[in-house]
Amino acid sequence: MANINWRTINIDALDPDSPANFDVSSLTPAVAPVSTADVQNNAQQIRQLLRGGDNEGALQGALENPPYGADDKGKETHLATVTEILQSIRQSDMSPMLSRIYKAPGGTEALDVLMKYIYKGMAQAAPASNTRNLTPQATGFSQIHSRGGGEGGGQAMSVLLSWHEKLVEIAGPGSIVRVMSDRRTV
Amino acid sequence: MSGPEVHHLFHHPIADHSFSADRQTLAVARENNVDLFHKTGSEYKLEDELTGHDKTVTGVDIAPNSGKIVTCSQDRNAYVWEPSPQGWKPTLVLLRINRAATCVRWAPSETKFAVGSGARLIPVCYFEEEDNWWVSKHIKKPIRSTVTCVAWHPNSVLLAAGSTDGHARVLSSFVKNVDERPEPSAWGERLPFNTVCGEYLNSTAGWVHSVAFSPSGNALAFASHDSTLTVVYPSGPEQAPRAILSVSTQVLPFMSLIWSSEAEIVAAGYNCEAFRLQGDESGWQLAGSLESKSRPGLTDQREESALNMFRQMDLKGKSGTDDTKLKTVHQNTINTIRSFEESGSGVTKISSTGVDGRVVIWSL
Repeated sequence: MANINWRTINIDALDPDSPANFDVSSLTPAVAPVSTADVQNNAQQIRQLLRGGDNEGALQGALENPPYGADDKGKETHLATVTEILQSIRQSDMSPMLSRIYKAPGGTEALDVLMKYIYKGMAQAAPASNTRNLTPQATGFSQIHSRGGGEGGGQAMSVLLSWHEKLVEIAGPGSIVRVMSDRRTV
Repeated sequence: MSGPEVHHLFHHPIADHSFSADRQTLAVARENNVDLFHKTGSEYKLEDELTGHDKTVTGVDIAPNSGKIVTCSQDRNAYVWEPSPQGWKPTLVLLRINRAATCVRWAPSETKFAVGSGARLIPVCYFEEEDNWWVSKHIKKPIRSTVTCVAWHPNSVLLAAGSTDGHARVLSSFVKNVDERPEPSAWGERLPFNTVCGEYLNSTAGWVHSVAFSPSGNALAFASHDSTLTVVYPSGPEQAPRAILSVSTQVLPFMSLIWSSEAEIVAAGYNCEAFRLQGDESGWQLAGSLESKSRPGLTDQREESALNMFRQMDLKGKSGTDDTKLKTVHQNTINTIRSFEESGSGVTKISSTGVDGRVVIWSL
């Protein structure tokens, strides 16, 4: 008994009511599982719209049903689709398009989803361009990543940054807060 | 409409505030103490200090009729302060919680009060005449995380609680021999202690900062950290609500909200200004800010003359406008808003306090 360090006992594990002992999934909103194949099908349809020149339709289609319930691969696929759409829209078209989406029913929700993809895109853009000589750091945050690396990363980042700027003008900082607090991730 | 009445009390955050029924006394939570201010002329002067808590005070509430003050603190205790000829007499209330108390509110009947806590439960406290002692009874299930806010239904039995698990809940706090049996309402008919009458989650499950019942008690509003405000209209006991309306706002999250009438809510928070929201069962929307854009302070800023600019450069060695001052009346997050004056049709004046140590009284 004397050897037990009382301060290091995990008292929560012994308490039947403690958060360590209940299912945390009850705290998050329910999301329906989506298979990767469905995401890819959806991506095909959106690409067709994009090829047909209907950029706005493609963007709306991509933001309408984000695959919250998909696995990592499905989510990556959808991110690639959204990024492709964002890159094919001209800078002068951004603001009018965003205000049209905002005014449509369910518009705030769609723009919140777009904000999620912009942030996710920013988190991804850098490593894709500079995969060499990277060692993950203990903090999970690499200085080299944030430097942006090669030209490709910088290009993608500048597109995302200008979208971000236009989006905040319309959806406000509320949209950013929603991305941070939302438990449904893209 | 006259401008807001601003009282800058001190340079400390105000966690919570409460006015007495005659609006002459103001209690504010300041660090480990509660300061009592008395209105003299047009100002509030420090009159008394309630000392007793040994950690930050998180909630204070003055009962409008009896004048008793209840306070709660991170030291896990609550005190009920009663006026006596020798000053304020504290009575310790053992809440039996192992985490901080976060908020406290008197029931409209003033026979009970509810305390939110980090121990995932809500102590509901009532006075036991026989033992001359405040007893606390715990509402436990199904709370999964810290309770950040509590609000009472006008019938003093139903209690709304918002929690960091993202849920706003309506619970029964019926205590035998203290409460009268409540009239059946849309929330429920039989209401033994700890009945869960409703559990609401908005689409993002952001944690809840503030909850409030509408004046009639037939609707519930809650504000969460995802910058949304959600209004729930129940349809009947054990049934899905008639309508859950969520307003996703463009502004930063709201910390506090009150219903000024059945069709209007005033909410304020991290944007440092209060907003009106209007609507009914068919939909709610943000109707604008309470700040009037033609306030004297603002026009001064706009009329930035050349003389002023050079004077600034000369005196302070800087050019351009003073960007350390916000354009809002409050200079930091608003923590609490409360009703200050009511008429037959609803709330006509509200008071707000925040991190900047200001108390502001607004006419709606």
